[in-house]
Amino acid sequence: MNSRSLPGKIGLVLFLILAIFPIAFSIGYAAFYSLGLTGLLSDGFTWEHWSNVFSRREVWGSLLLSAYISAFTVLLTVGAALYISIRLRSHLSKGTLSYAIYLPLAIPATVAAFLVFQLLSGAGFLSRIFMTLGLIDSINQFPDLINDAAGFGIIAAHTGLAVPFFTILFYEIYTSEKIDALSQLAHTLGAESRSVLYRVTLPILIKKSMMNISLLFIIVMGSYEIPLLLGRQAPQMISVLTMRKYEMFDISEKPEAFIAALLYTGIVLVLLTLVFRRSGAKHAI
Amino acid sequence: MPSSPENTFLKSSFLAVVVLFCIGPFVYLIGLSFVTSWPYPSILPESYSVDLWARMLTGSGALVSSFFLSLLISLIVAATSTSAGFMTGKYIAYHKHKSLLLFLAYVPYIMSPVILGTCLMYLYIKGNLTGSTVGVILAQTMFAYGFSIVFFSAFWNHRIRALEDLVYTLGGSVVHAYKTVLLPISKNALLICFFQTFLISWFQYGLTLLIGSGKVQTLPIKVYEYVGEANIYYAALASCLLVLPPALLLWANKRFVFKTV
Repeated sequence: MNSRSLPGKIGLVLFLILAIFPIAFSIGYAAFYSLGLTGLLSDGFTWEHWSNVFSRREVWGSLLLSAYISAFTVLLTVGAALYISIRLRSHLSKGTLSYAIYLPLAIPATVAAFLVFQLLSGAGFLSRIFMTLGLIDSINQFPDLINDAAGFGIIAAHTGLAVPFFTILFYEIYTSEKIDALSQLAHTLGAESRSVLYRVTLPILIKKSMMNISLLFIIVMGSYEIPLLLGRQAPQMISVLTMRKYEMFDISEKPEAFIAALLYTGIVLVLLTLVFRRSGAKHAI
Repeated sequence: MPSSPENTFLKSSFLAVVVLFCIGPFVYLIGLSFVTSWPYPSILPESYSVDLWARMLTGSGALVSSFFLSLLISLIVAATSTSAGFMTGKYIAYHKHKSLLLFLAYVPYIMSPVILGTCLMYLYIKGNLTGSTVGVILAQTMFAYGFSIVFFSAFWNHRIRALEDLVYTLGGSVVHAYKTVLLPISKNALLICFFQTFLISWFQYGLTLLIGSGKVQTLPIKVYEYVGEANIYYAALASCLLVLPPALLLWANKRFVFKTV
C-alpha cells in the first residue's frame, strides 16, 4: 500500500464505520421493525403498522407541527437577524455588541428551554411584570405562552438561539462580499436606498446563506430538548413523539416509533438533496 | 447625511435591547442561582444565599461530579471526532465523488440525534453499551464526527495539496509532510473544530438520556432533572456550570465560531 495514501484510507474506513454504517443500519432496522420482520412482536411480514399510521392523525400531525414550527422559526430568525445585522452593522464590528453577540452561542437548547420556561410560564418573569403593572389580576389571566397550541414558547426558544448566529453570519457575508462598496456603486448610478436594500443587499445576504437557512429548518424540525419542555402532550414534535413511542411500556407502539423515524428520515433526505442541488454542495458551517 | 436625534435615540435604544438580549440570560441565570426564595408575584427575589455555590465549590454536591463527567466525555468526543474528521475530510475533499460523500457526511450531522439514536438502540443493547459512559461517548462521537467531516472537507484545498506534494517532491515522507507542513498550517482549524465538537458533546441531552438510560448524569441531564423537580435554583446553578465556561472562551476568542483559518 502506498504510504502517502494511508491517512486517506484510514479516513475512508472511519467514514464507513462511523458515518455510513450507523445510517444504513438504522434505516434498515427501522424498516424491518415497521414491517414486522424483527423485534419482540415480530410475526412475519405485515403492512399493519403502516396502515395504522396512515389511518391515524398522530404521526402526520406531529410532522405538520414540526414543519410549521421550523418554518416560523426560520422566518423570524432570518427577519430579525437581517434587521440587526444591517441596522447595527457598525456596532457589530467594534464595541460591546461585537463581543456580546457571541455570548448566546454558548447557550444550549436545554438552558434555552429553561430560560423561556422561566420567562413565559404562568408564574414566570413576564407574568410577574404584568401583575405588577396591573395588566392581570391573577395568575390564571396570563395567556398560555408555553405548552400552547401555537407552539409560541418553542418558536421563541429556537428563534432566540438562532438569531445571534445568523446575525454574525450575515455580518460576515456583508463584509466578505463587500456589500458596502456595491451599495455605494448602486447609489452612484442613481438607485434609491430602498432599491439598494431590496435589489443588492438582501438578495446577496439571502443567497449566500441559503444553505445555512435550509439547515436551520431541518435541524429545528428534529429538535428534542425544547419541545420536550415547552410543547404540548398532543400533538408533539417528531423527535419527542418518536422517543415517547419507543419508550412506552406498550411495546405494540414501537413499530410506530420506527415508522415516525423513517418518515422523518425520508423528509430530511429529500430536503438535503434539494439543498445540495440548489447550493452545488457548498459548505455551511 | 447626519442622523436626526430621534433616529439616533431609536438606534441606541435598539442597540441596548439587543445587548440586553445577549447578556440578560447570563445575568438572570447567575442571579437565580443565588436565590433561595422568590414568591409570586414579586418582581425581585425575597432572599439570597451563597449556599448552593459554596456547596458546589467545596465538592459536596452532585453537580461537581456531573461537571467533571461532562468534561471527560466532551474532551474524549472532541479529540476523537476532530482527529477522525481531519483524515476523513481530506479523503472526501480530494475524492472525485466529493458531492455524494459530502451528502452522506451531512446526514448524521443534521439528523435528529434522538431519532437516529432510537434506531441504533438495538446495537447498543446488543453491545451492552446502554447506561454506560462508553456508550454515550460512542453515540456522541458519531454526531460530532459528522460535523468534523463537513468542517474539514471545506478546509482541505488545492493550495494545501500543492504544499504536501512539494514535501514529497523534495524527498520528505508522510510523517515529514504531516509534522512539518500539514499539522502546523492546520493548527487553527483543528482548534476551532475541537472547540465546536466539544460544544456538540457538552450540550448534548437527548442522546445522552437515551443511550445513557439516565445513568450517565452529565450537566444537561442534571438541568432537566432539576427543572422536572421544580428545583429552579439548582437548575440555574447547573445551567451556569454549563454555559459559563464556553461563554468565557467565546468572549476571550471570537474566532472559535467561524472558520476564518
